[in-house]
Amino acid sequence: MESNNTTSVYFDFSQLFTATKTFIDTHNENHHQLTERLNANHRATAELITRLYAKQLNHAITLGEDIIEDLPGFKTFNPSLASCKGCTVRTIINHKERLKAAGFIIKEIHRGKSGIELWINPTIFKARKISTINIQIPPHLKSNNTVSDGKVKNLHPLVHEQQELKNNNSTVDKLVTKKEGVRLPAHKEIDNSVTGTSQEQHKNIRESRNSASKKQKKMATSTNAKEVDSAFLLQLVRDFWNYAKILLYPNIKLSQPEETEILNCIWASVYRKFKITGSTKDWEGYQEILFKRIDMVSRWLDRNPNRWVPPAHLYFNPENKRNGFNKTYEWFLKQELLKKEIRNQILIQKTASEWKDHKKGIGKHKNKTRLQLFRIQQQRLSQYKDERLLQLYEKSLHKVVNA
Amino acid sequence: MTHPNPTEALSKCVVYFNDGNSRTFYSFDKKHKKSKPNKALGIIRLEKMLLQHFKGTWETAIIYENKVNGKKLAKFKGGIRVF
Repeated sequence: MESNNTTSVYFDFSQLFTATKTFIDTHNENHHQLTERLNANHRATAELITRLYAKQLNHAITLGEDIIEDLPGFKTFNPSLASCKGCTVRTIINHKERLKAAGFIIKEIHRGKSGIELWINPTIFKARKISTINIQIPPHLKSNNTVSDGKVKNLHPLVHEQQELKNNNSTVDKLVTKKEGVRLPAHKEIDNSVTGTSQEQHKNIRESRNSASKKQKKMATSTNAKEVDSAFLLQLVRDFWNYAKILLYPNIKLSQPEETEILNCIWASVYRKFKITGSTKDWEGYQEILFKRIDMVSRWLDRNPNRWVPPAHLYFNPENKRNGFNKTYEWFLKQELLKKEIRNQILIQKTASEWKDHKKGIGKHKNKTRLQLFRIQQQRLSQYKDERLLQLYEKSLHKVVNA
Repeated sequence: MTHPNPTEALSKCVVYFNDGNSRTFYSFDKKHKKSKPNKALGIIRLEKMLLQHFKGTWETAIIYENKVNGKKLAKFKGGIRVF
C-alpha cells in the first residue's frame, strides 16, 4: 500500500502568482528605462501564461506523469493566447519578446502547426511537494498520458476555467463601478479579458481603423470551426474502425503502428480523405450507411464458416479493387433496391386484395364507391414518394378492374 | 536488390526456432527505394515471413522496435499471435 501514499507535486496558483509578481517587481526595480520595464499589460500576459501553464502541469500530474525532474514546456498557440487575453496576436508576440528580454521566458520553440512551446524561468515554477494527497490513478488514465509527449494533436492546452485560489481580477467584495456606455459586439459575450482593466467604452466605441481584433476574431472562429470539424471527422474514422474491428475481426491483435496504418487506409478509401464537403448531418448519415454495410458483411460471414474477408490493412486499402470494402457499396445499393421492390410488391398485393373484396362486397371498404377506394389507395401509396410504386399501382389497377 | 538494413530498419524480429537456434531478422519498411519508411508495412512483412515462409519451423517469435530498449510490438507462439 506504500505506493498509494507516494509524494506528489502540485502547482499552487496563488504561490505562482506571488512569484510572478515578485519577479516582475524586482525586474522593474533594476531597470529604469521604459523600453526595458514590464508594464501592467506585460504583467497580465505573464500572469496568463503562468496560470495556463500551471493548469497544464497540474493536469499532467493528475494523469500520472512524472514531471518533477524534467519540467515540460508550456504548449500553446499564439492566437489562442491572444483570444484568451482579448488582444491581437502581434501584441502577444511583442509581449513575449519583452518577457524573454526580462528573463521571464527562458526558451521558446516554434512547432509550426502544433503551436509554440515556452519554458518559464525555473525560479517561478518550483513544484511544491504535498505528501498528504493520495492520488490513485485508474489504469486507463495512466495509459492515456499524452500531455507532455505531444502525440495528441487536438488536445487544446487552453481551456478557460477559473481556478485561482485568490483571484485578483475578481470584482467580488470590491467597489467597482458599473460599466457604462455602448456594449461593443466583441464584449457581448463573457468578458474574456484577463487584464482586469475595465473597458472604458464611452471613450472608445469605434473599432480601430484596421480592425485587427475583428479580423482576428473572425479568423479564430473560422479556425475553431475547422478544428472542431476535423476532430469530428477523425472521430468518425475511429468509430468506424472500432465497429468494424468488433464485428469483422473480433480476435485481432494489433500493435500501434499497424492500427495507425489501418486508420489511414480507412481515411483514404472509405472516407476519400474527406475531400467531399458535407455538413455534420450528411456525414452522420454516411456513417449510418457504413455501419449497415459492416453489419451486412458480418451477417454474410456468419452464414457460412468458409467465408472470409482479407486482413484489415488489405480490406480497407484504397488500392484494393478486387475484394475491398468499397465493393460493398454496390452490394448495399442492390440490397436496398431489393428491399424497396419487395415493399412495393406487398403494397400492390394489398391494394389488389382490397379491390377483390370490394367487388365481392366485403371488407373495410364495402360501402365506398370505386372512385373513393381509388382515392384512398392513391393517397396511401403517394405517401411513400416512390414514382415506381405508383406506376406499378396503375398497372395492377388496370389488371384488376379489367379482369 | 535492396535488402533490409539493420541500422535503418524500424523493427526487428527475434525468432526462436524449433531446433534451438535463434536469429534476428530486420524489417524492410519501404515500398520502393526512395519511399518513406512505413513501420506497419515492415511489421506486416515480418508477420508474413513468420506465418508463411518459416511456417512450422519456429516456436516463438517476438517483434521489437529496432532501437535501444525498444518496445515489444508483437509476439507469436506456435503460429498464433499472442500479443
